[in-house]
Amino acid sequence: MPRLGYDERAAALLVFPVVAVLLVVAAFPILYSFWVSLHDVVLTRPLRRPFVGLDNYLRVFADERFWIAVARTTVYTVVTVAATTVLAVLVALLLNEAFPGQRLLNALLLLPWATPSVVNGLMWKWIYDPSYGLLNGLLVQLGVLERYRAWLGDPDLTLLLIANAAVWKQMPLAALLLIVTMKAIPEDLYRAAKVDGAGAFRRFLHVTLPALRPGLMLVLVYETMISIRHFDLFLIMTQGGPGDASFTLSWFIYVETFRSLRFGTGAALSYILAMATFLLSYLFIRFLGRRL
Amino acid sequence: MSGAEDRRAPPPGRAAARRPVAPRLGRGLLLAAFSLLFVLYVAGPVAWLVSSSLQTEAQATAVPPNWLPPEPTLANFEAIFRAAERVVTYETRRQGDPATGGFLPTGAQNLLPSLRNSLVVGLWVAALNLLLSLTAAYAIAVIDFRGRRATLYTVLATRVIPDIALVVPLFLVIRALGLINSLAALVVTYLAVTVPFTIFILISYFEGIPRDLYRAARVDGCGHWGALRQVYLPLSLPALVAALTFAFLTSWNEFVFALVLTQNVEAQTLPIVISGFVMDFTTSFSFVNAAGVIAIVPPVLLAVLFQRYIVSGLTAGAVKG
Repeated sequence: MPRLGYDERAAALLVFPVVAVLLVVAAFPILYSFWVSLHDVVLTRPLRRPFVGLDNYLRVFADERFWIAVARTTVYTVVTVAATTVLAVLVALLLNEAFPGQRLLNALLLLPWATPSVVNGLMWKWIYDPSYGLLNGLLVQLGVLERYRAWLGDPDLTLLLIANAAVWKQMPLAALLLIVTMKAIPEDLYRAAKVDGAGAFRRFLHVTLPALRPGLMLVLVYETMISIRHFDLFLIMTQGGPGDASFTLSWFIYVETFRSLRFGTGAALSYILAMATFLLSYLFIRFLGRRL
Repeated sequence: MSGAEDRRAPPPGRAAARRPVAPRLGRGLLLAAFSLLFVLYVAGPVAWLVSSSLQTEAQATAVPPNWLPPEPTLANFEAIFRAAERVVTYETRRQGDPATGGFLPTGAQNLLPSLRNSLVVGLWVAALNLLLSLTAAYAIAVIDFRGRRATLYTVLATRVIPDIALVVPLFLVIRALGLINSLAALVVTYLAVTVPFTIFILISYFEGIPRDLYRAARVDGCGHWGALRQVYLPLSLPALVAALTFAFLTSWNEFVFALVLTQNVEAQTLPIVISGFVMDFTTSFSFVNAAGVIAIVPPVLLAVLFQRYIVSGLTAGAVKG
């Protein structure tokens, strides 16, 4: 069959450029990273890089900083994902209504989404500023706070404040995904519920929420995968501090690799984070996919 | 449920006459209140960033804060655009200029070149991303070839690995290629980030185009290249605009890779230079904020301009489930 031959040749030709690029800048680095994680690679000693098997991984697991980083990453991710999801549901409910000005609000929703994360970081850092920040100014003017305080310097608040900046940027995409799902809910369901005498809240609970399931799934998986790897905000806002209050896994990878120049353990850490992300999204789809 | 039904079912005539007014008023008030909260939350922080960039350093750091610029000034922006003309030494820095509180950062003259770098990289990424994704998406969506599923999953799987995990090996690869601190390294790297997502969007778009059009084109003697150019390209303009915008925005906003792969003003992009200011404690706030405003303007303009395409592009995958 000559026709089949043409199809296959054309497909190969059309796909080739993408595959070539991804091989060089994605697939090869991923495999190379695994190789590095099995060797003792220290950049200050470029010529000697002995094979050490799983030593890098064992060293990471024995390092107490790793467990601190796991705890910080967990708190940060849970807070960010939960807040993003709840806020996105509220925003989606608002923007799904028809009212004058709704289009304007829809356009506004893209503002945080389009803001570069570095600018997002500097903006919130400026708002939280201990001496001149707007948060201090606002709370003092309202009489809630007696005097200015160093928000990001409070170890109990640091992660939450960074999470707030992340939520601000991530909420729009989540809301957009939920709005699309909401638009697909048949109007009849609401009418039927109304006839049954269900108030707005019960209609939300029994009609909207179940129908939102696929959208919520997507939001949860996506936001978890994104939040767990956040790095930009941490570099800009706190650099892992104060103390180890915002010492997350991605920050650990950065410090280990580019400050201590221990590429071997850095790569091992990267692999652990990648595996964790992968496993988490799998579990989400596996268990929540059915129940949520 | 049935209890509620009994209570809430008044005689039809009375309900029609009375019910609409009060709930509608209530609904209107509720919507207005939530809209206000929404606007404050979404636009408030950016409004403050803009407001403080239009103040002198003394005004921006006043206690209590000046919510609006008392006398709006473009001095901070002027300082950015004229930074190259000045020699910053310890003395001139101490002397300073009144607008920026005497703290023009040493790297100020890097801002404009980095702005240029960001633009160049963004445009290259947008163009190449579209070219690469278009052909691959066509092949995967339209041609029935062996290894089609495998190709799609492999492409998508590359995005599962966190960027920060890719940074280490990528740094080594780029260094081995001798491309550290070059715009080309950034372009190639960003393609790996944008291409999988673009392919995903384009495939879901292509699959919505009636198969008959493709058959007709093939019967008329078009090869795959012809079918792509004459059927799929003209019909998927919205998706193409979305893809161009995404690629540019991703490239414009990217930080981690640029941080590791670039070293100086030759290749550094805007986020890198700005992050340097943020971490330099002597930089004046109003100046940094002005730089932030400059970095926000292009992506926000694009987002507003192509709002419809972006929304439909972003949510293309969600509809399919």
